[in-house]
Amino acid sequence: MGDVIVVEGLTKSYGAERGVIDLSFAVAPGEVFGYLGPNGAGKTTTIRTLLDFIRPTAGRARIFDLDSTVGSIEIHRRTGYLPGELALYERMTAADYLTHFAALRGGVDWGDVRRLAERLDLRLATRIRSLSHGNKQKVGLVQAFMHRPELLVLDEPTTGLDPLVQQEFHTMIAEARLGGSTVFLSSHVMPEVERLCDRVGIIREGRLVAVEDVGDLKARAIRTLDIRFARPVPGEAFAGLPGVQRIEVQGDLVHLTVAGHLDAVVKAAARYEVVDITSNEPTLEQVFLTFYGEGENKDR
Amino acid sequence: MPYPFMLRTVFAKTIRDQRRALLWWSLGFVGTVLLYSAFWPTIRENASQFNDYIAKLPEAVRNLIGGDYGTAQGYVQAEMFSLLLPVLLLVYAIGAGARAIAGEEESGTLDLLLSTPIRRSRVLLDKLWAMVGASLMLATLAWVSIVAIGRPFGLTVGLVNLAAAAVNLLLLGVVFGSIALAVGSTTGTKAMAIGVTSGLALVTFIVRTLAPSVPAIKPLRLLSPFFYYADHKPFSNGFNGGDVAVLSGIAVVAALVALVAFDRRDLAA
Repeated sequence: MGDVIVVEGLTKSYGAERGVIDLSFAVAPGEVFGYLGPNGAGKTTTIRTLLDFIRPTAGRARIFDLDSTVGSIEIHRRTGYLPGELALYERMTAADYLTHFAALRGGVDWGDVRRLAERLDLRLATRIRSLSHGNKQKVGLVQAFMHRPELLVLDEPTTGLDPLVQQEFHTMIAEARLGGSTVFLSSHVMPEVERLCDRVGIIREGRLVAVEDVGDLKARAIRTLDIRFARPVPGEAFAGLPGVQRIEVQGDLVHLTVAGHLDAVVKAAARYEVVDITSNEPTLEQVFLTFYGEGENKDR
Repeated sequence: MPYPFMLRTVFAKTIRDQRRALLWWSLGFVGTVLLYSAFWPTIRENASQFNDYIAKLPEAVRNLIGGDYGTAQGYVQAEMFSLLLPVLLLVYAIGAGARAIAGEEESGTLDLLLSTPIRRSRVLLDKLWAMVGASLMLATLAWVSIVAIGRPFGLTVGLVNLAAAAVNLLLLGVVFGSIALAVGSTTGTKAMAIGVTSGLALVTFIVRTLAPSVPAIKPLRLLSPFFYYADHKPFSNGFNGGDVAVLSGIAVVAALVALVAFDRRDLAA
């Protein structure tokens, strides 16, 4: 079976505004593909082109081996979509809204809708207007999953969800993947992508700068480590260890910037009396630094 | 679970969204008819004074009113069909046409609607039919209520001529509703759709009203939908196939523009 999404030289320009430039990547069946980049990098533009809300300036995208523009109706039939800026019909109840969309999709198993709503703890009888942001997001999620689509295209899906619901959402993604679905998921937070995805495409200022296995990305990722010792420790104890890029000593506290595995650092620290270790998840900026080095100017 | 009819299609859902508003519009139409019917017995007794008064008005105003207060049909024409009912229907139709695409686009709900396996053209046509259907309901209501409410007040109008006037009223509403739909589908801006279309309605209305008395612009009246709406005097002459054809033609052209523009365009996020 061929790739579910194939993007070839896709460019979308909006006059002077930022669009996306010459994107090429492919997403295999059953894969969870993360699309990672800061806000405004072009994630939503890419997704809206895949779904034919906007048309490419150059290049093309094929989904299920169909052209994204010519085959959009068949693509939509087999795809579940959650927009980044979710807007629902505020005056309808969640149940009416989902009923309407189920009908437009030619019918879905209402048992699925009820199960999804239950899992996410969404009350269907409520008018959408009076739902909180997080609960509206749940309506969006049910809407995206309810017809058991072969492809899920989710633009920043966990925005506004509380941690418990995020957990449930992660399970839903895992189940969809087990059921053979492919997932294309955009995010601006590294840990989420690390957790859910097999591979990740990194987009910055409209250009795809890397497509990596999440495992490799983690191995290469830079993180900052704060180690508090019982008494001050000389910074030289960590100098020259593999991966250590920066050392800063403040009394009994040592800040380290480390690329890749922490093994050597942890073993070096173990020679002294350690009070506490805090490892900070790499921020997106730090991930980018891995790809560009310090010389690259910062996006934000 | 079976799908309730009103949630099954974009057409039905559009009507459903307007159900409360349409109730008020209906009451407005019936109320207008009731009010003017109630005045009729008094007007009829003093018809000669009214006609004398009208005779002294400038030609353009006379042309606007266009009726003879001595007859029931002249009165219905002058009081209801010359200004009030067209304005009411145009306000509804222009609003509905502007909201159809541009309104959904601006509120951000269009992306999800179009992420379903429904073509853009299907969505647009469903919303067009909803606007036409509701206009048809209002125009029919005007006809029915004039017949039913007018009679007790002695306001009896030929049913066929009244139907001819109501059909022109419907088509006038559909013309401007379709133009608002076209502007909204092209620009994605509801305010622009309402503004441009209302402006166009006002200008063409003024042209049609002034044209007969201002030789320089007299030929321009043929460009005004209001000319086809009223100038062949449906209350005296009944149906005019040419008027129906021209008004329908404008609406069809506007709808085609809307379809083509909407289908080709990038949608706003």
